[in-house]
Amino acid sequence: MSIGVLNSPAKGHQSQDFELNITSIIDTFTVLITFMLASASFLSIGIFDAGISAGGDAPTTNQPPSVNVEVSLSHDHSFTVKLSGKVTNTIHVAPKSGDWDLDGLAQQLGGVKARFTDVQSATLLAENTIEYKDVIRAMEKTRSTLPYVLLGGF
Amino acid sequence: MMKLSPFKARHQNEEMQLQITSMADIFTIILVFLLKSYASGAVTVSPTTGTLLPEAHAGDPPVEALKLEISKDAIQVDGQPVMKLNAFAFESADVQGNGISVVLSKALEQQRHKQMLIAQSNSSVKVDARILVLSDQKTPYSTLKSVLASAASQGYTDFKLAVVRGD
Repeated sequence: MSIGVLNSPAKGHQSQDFELNITSIIDTFTVLITFMLASASFLSIGIFDAGISAGGDAPTTNQPPSVNVEVSLSHDHSFTVKLSGKVTNTIHVAPKSGDWDLDGLAQQLGGVKARFTDVQSATLLAENTIEYKDVIRAMEKTRSTLPYVLLGGF
Repeated sequence: MMKLSPFKARHQNEEMQLQITSMADIFTIILVFLLKSYASGAVTVSPTTGTLLPEAHAGDPPVEALKLEISKDAIQVDGQPVMKLNAFAFESADVQGNGISVVLSKALEQQRHKQMLIAQSNSSVKVDARILVLSDQKTPYSTLKSVLASAASQGYTDFKLAVVRGD
């Protein structure tokens, strides 16, 4: 790095060009960057809000929804959507290629939402052996149609 | 540094300096970027080694709340192990008929008590119903139910389930 300084009148003939020694700065930066890269977490964490079907916060409206929606997860990778209230109905969503048919679930919930527009929440239940990741997958899909998901089965 | 010719070498000035100014510039930019990404994450959520959070495409940004972590071998509350698990399962004697774990419930009660003491001495702090659950993706729903039931019994009813955001 060359820094030119205007010649002073007193020392007009002396060259004042000099080089900064930045090797030590580079060393420090290398150590710092290595440390920060080693300790950095590159995972992006997100949060899913969930309530419980019993207890929790007070409802925001006094009017109950037309129907209560309950989504159950079974060990055979099938969903059961139960409606109770104005209408009582049970919809079975069979597994697709041995896995959860999440699109089928979304389609069924979309149908419920189209019919009963005031429905905003669903209760999610699962059998004891169902893994958490499957609950989250079902929750994510349910939230795309019904924004409030409560966990049930307590 | 290479000698051009062994014959002329003695008389030639061989001192050569590497131009590292551009390298210093690059390092500065990387350092600023890393420091900024450190500063932007006010809430630190880091599961312990071996705990794999489930993946999801959506999700809200993390919030500051009491952290409860469920791994294969233990449950931690606020970073402190409070009880052991046997391959995600509670000891049968620990779980009551309503699914509430006695040990976990006690640990959460202590946290609740701590929060209430702080709230009493500082009016700007309120008792918080939020609890951040970091659970391994393989956790069975039975364990999750017991944990959530224990939390709810101590007033933690606003569950925040942590997931890893996919693309």
